[in-house]
Amino acid sequence: MDWKMWSLKKSVWVFHVNTGACNNCDIEIVNLLTPKFDVERFGIKLVGSPRHADALLVTGVVTRQAAKRLQEVYRQTAKPCVVFCMGACACGTGIFEGAYHVAGPVDNIIRQVDPNAIIVYVPGCPPKPQAMIMGVVKALSALQPEKEYAT
Amino acid sequence: MQHNELDKQLSQIRDRLAGIERKADNRVFLPCESENVYEVCRFLFSELGLRFVISTGIDAQDCFEVLHHFSDDDSGCVVTVKAFVRNRESPELDSITPLIPGAEWTEREMHDLLGIRFRNHPNLQRLILADDWPEGVYPLRKEMQT
Repeated sequence: MDWKMWSLKKSVWVFHVNTGACNNCDIEIVNLLTPKFDVERFGIKLVGSPRHADALLVTGVVTRQAAKRLQEVYRQTAKPCVVFCMGACACGTGIFEGAYHVAGPVDNIIRQVDPNAIIVYVPGCPPKPQAMIMGVVKALSALQPEKEYAT
Repeated sequence: MQHNELDKQLSQIRDRLAGIERKADNRVFLPCESENVYEVCRFLFSELGLRFVISTGIDAQDCFEVLHHFSDDDSGCVVTVKAFVRNRESPELDSITPLIPGAEWTEREMHDLLGIRFRNHPNLQRLILADDWPEGVYPLRKEMQT
């Protein structure tokens, strides 16, 4: 493991993107930062800019209005960037399937700009904080040295 | 007993309404034709002092229904003005925004989703549909299939 991958796994900085969620998943993500779960002990930290982020936490189905914005936010992140689809809507549009305002699930929208994007799915409505932590742990353990990914 | 008082006051505008339907102790519907809606709302808002809550729009197949909901906070009764917009080709209705500024956004939303044009509305711009949504397509109409 090279030092860049080692340092990425030691401290994943995440940027939180709400592309049309009902706020329920967002509340659970904020819950992760509270003393009870305290993900900062794993080095996971919310940052205020996608340019500082190693991962995107995307909540909610991608609406027509949000699709271009999500692609732009993804483009601004440093690669490799892990995209976490938090909740049923982000994973596969959920109850909004076929609705007039829906552009698609998060993976479709991200793959339009980067076919090799690393995408992690955490289903649930909302997913439990423990499930979110487990998703992050599984994603990090699946990460390979950088040369195998498009950057 | 308070609702007798409200019923008595509502009967003053009986000639502008198609009826006064009391569904429950705390629920009254006032169906009316579209040309009377402004006058009925002015009476409820300015003369009876009811509080404007929200508006809703419904596509009822043969016509559009625009419902302005008012609350009588003294008795806890919700009074709903139900206006029928019968012209499906170019649905039009008097706006109540000049009277109640709080109705601006809910009327713009109905304009977006159902295509009802509100006459005398100060700013009938797109509110909630996406920027790339095509003009003249109204997603909550019955004929729209997704």
